[in-house]
Amino acid sequence: MTGGPFAPALLCAALGFALAFAPRGSVLPSLLGLVAAAMAMAFVPLAPAWRETAFLVCWATLILTAAMVHLPGGPGPKLALALGVGAGAAGGAIVSVAGVASDLLKALPWALLCVPGAWLVARGQGIAIKVASSWLIAVAILAAALPITPTPGYEPDHMQ
Amino acid sequence: MAIAPAIALASIATPACSHDGSALAGGFLAGFAHPFGGFDHLLAMVAVGLWGAFLGRPLIVVLPVIFPTVMAIGALLAMVGLRLPPIELGIALSVLLLGGAIAGAVRAPIWAASLIVGIFAIFHGFAHGSELPSLADPLAYSVGFVLATGLLHVAGIALGLINRRPGGKMVTRGAGALIAICGVYFLYRASMG
Repeated sequence: MTGGPFAPALLCAALGFALAFAPRGSVLPSLLGLVAAAMAMAFVPLAPAWRETAFLVCWATLILTAAMVHLPGGPGPKLALALGVGAGAAGGAIVSVAGVASDLLKALPWALLCVPGAWLVARGQGIAIKVASSWLIAVAILAAALPITPTPGYEPDHMQ
Repeated sequence: MAIAPAIALASIATPACSHDGSALAGGFLAGFAHPFGGFDHLLAMVAVGLWGAFLGRPLIVVLPVIFPTVMAIGALLAMVGLRLPPIELGIALSVLLLGGAIAGAVRAPIWAASLIVGIFAIFHGFAHGSELPSLADPLAYSVGFVLATGLLHVAGIALGLINRRPGGKMVTRGAGALIAICGVYFLYRASMG
């Protein structure tokens, strides 16, 4: 689950959630920045030694991006563009070291969650987006920690 | 507009993913099932949402946002091998106190409610983190248990919406009392443990 489109897809979903709170005019430039940066990075040959670093950057970018839903007024045009480019670069780097170019086709559409997200925000239901973003942050924290911590394995459950 | 998420879902779904023999299904399903596997976890998660709904804005948002994030940090503490006081006691206390707060209609200030929920989230996360399977797919497991936890919060919030109906608060407080009683049992079991 660490390779392929999974991590970039979560990152794109986080971007979609953040853009749900952004001004309408800043969404398209951000999405274009996402696609351009992702395609550019996906074809940059990164050495396998960069794999863990690429994933760490991806999870850190995801946490930062998902946290933007709490920014009062949402991310402005410049920040939205930066988030799109950042997400694209981080996602593209993952594809470069741990996937194939077609993984982008599976990951990038998740940024379109900004459309139903904006619909929810416009109706005062942005709470759902904020809660879902916190789930993404939790997953990213765990995912970032997994490679650097030895997991205990199948130890007796606290309920056993 | 409505088809955007459908397109996104369809794009990432791979028809063979349930038959490819990888640990994906087991990892995710095991993680998703974990919070449902014990009433102590389950009741605490529902109680967080229920208390948030009882307290209203902004805590109806803040509590379900804080819990998974701090829970992940608790799991992290477990993964690095840190030792905490008996986890079972912490989890049982969370059920007892959260149920008691709902039953007693405790209107805690934002900082206090956040602190209480955050501390208990560490215990729940620690329990999950110490059980992260290294042989299955730990990332899929993490996604599973974060998603299940979040959905249980949402279930608690949905239950809390009954507050808006006449007599709804009494029903909510009754549910809190039942949760607290279960907490007493869990605490007894943990102390005997």
